[in-house]
Amino acid sequence: MNKINYTGTYYFQTEKKHLEKFNEILAENRVRPTALLPFWNIAGFVLGASSALLGKEGAMACTVAVEESITEHYNNQIRTLMEKEPERYTELLQVIKEFRDDEMEHHDTGLAHDAENVPGYWLLKNAIQLGCKAAIYVSQRI
Amino acid sequence: MAALLRGLRAGRALRGLSSVVAAPTATNPQCGSLRRGFHCAGLRLQDESKSDKPPSSTTYHEHYQARSAEQDTAASASDPAADQSTDPNTSYQDQSGEQDEEYETEEQLQARILTAALEFVPLHGWSMEAIAAGAESLGLSSASTGMFEKGSGDLVLHFIAQCNAQLTEILAEQHTQVQLGQAEPKKTADFIRDAVETRLRMYIPYIETWPQAMSLLLLPHNIPDSLKHLSTLMDDIWYYAGDRSTDMNWYTKRAALTGIYNTTELVMIQDSSPDFQDTWAFLDNRIQDVVNMATTAKQVQSTGEAVVQGLMGAAVTLKNLTGLNQRR
Repeated sequence: MNKINYTGTYYFQTEKKHLEKFNEILAENRVRPTALLPFWNIAGFVLGASSALLGKEGAMACTVAVEESITEHYNNQIRTLMEKEPERYTELLQVIKEFRDDEMEHHDTGLAHDAENVPGYWLLKNAIQLGCKAAIYVSQRI
Repeated sequence: MAALLRGLRAGRALRGLSSVVAAPTATNPQCGSLRRGFHCAGLRLQDESKSDKPPSSTTYHEHYQARSAEQDTAASASDPAADQSTDPNTSYQDQSGEQDEEYETEEQLQARILTAALEFVPLHGWSMEAIAAGAESLGLSSASTGMFEKGSGDLVLHFIAQCNAQLTEILAEQHTQVQLGQAEPKKTADFIRDAVETRLRMYIPYIETWPQAMSLLLLPHNIPDSLKHLSTLMDDIWYYAGDRSTDMNWYTKRAALTGIYNTTELVMIQDSSPDFQDTWAFLDNRIQDVVNMATTAKQVQSTGEAVVQGLMGAAVTLKNLTGLNQRR
């Protein structure tokens, strides 16, 4: 239990750092934040809470699914930026690569903590990934 | 769809024809002799070809050519001039030495005409007459009003864009002064008040005709552009006021400021007090309202949190009293 607490705290700190960094970049570049932010706040909380109720494996499976989605998203962004003008976006690319590596690490940690042992792993993982993809798609437009 | 475009072009050509008939007599009364006629045709074609070829100017070319062919017998002269004019990059130094031939984009030309037209707004209102007068004051043909698809809405939008740019410049300058330490940073409410007042004061020279302008902006084909200008204005003001929020506050702040700005504008157009004092008093009150609302919201939130904590404390006490809390 303590190990989970520790891992969870570690995840939380890293993600908090990511969020702060992105908020900073958002404000600097005068980008409009997505209007759906309150929904995502609630949805994120519900997802975390309900997957934790499924036990340790459930929480890890949720982590694995989400981290995989976010890594794919980061990679897409890196691809887009590289296609456009890599020289202009060096700092941003650096940030995204670093964060992507962090998320991959979370993903691997999740697998190491028996994520695959949760009943219905395949279903849970794909459902969460579908939700993440939909959220990203919608947030890019609204 | 193609039929619709053809119909549109035909309609524009018909409209243009009437102004073409009017223009030659107004702009070049001395086109009598053959030689001078050749020059005039060249000049007029040159005027038209100054802009990059939008579909309307093609039809004007044809009509001008027809017109000048009728007026003077220099019909053959029109064609080489037309050929030259199809390539905007060619320099026309040989045709007439009166104009400076640097390549200018259509947007720049439109901007020049509209800026010149603003002088005639107190006289003609926000209308095509003002744009035509503006074009003529630059030495261009008044038929160039055909370039402006949204009509007088274009003039209003241009003016608004100009005012927004001016305000952004002023705010940026203030911002750099504060960063250099040469000026004190203003409180948010004062900053907003000054920014909105500065911006609305730009309307004062046109305040008589401003109701007409506002109604033009409400026409369906002008709404997207006017909303875009308004939203960038609000974003700029908040950015320079120091707003760096990345959550729902981004939206609520801009919405509140839009409300303040629009209502103050409406008050301004029917204000007859000296130097619009009533308007600025109204603005002060509205800003105060929003500040009060924000303060109240914060107070409600902290009260709510305090109440929740109180309830939790009471629950724990109750559990202790009834002995349900066995973790001693």
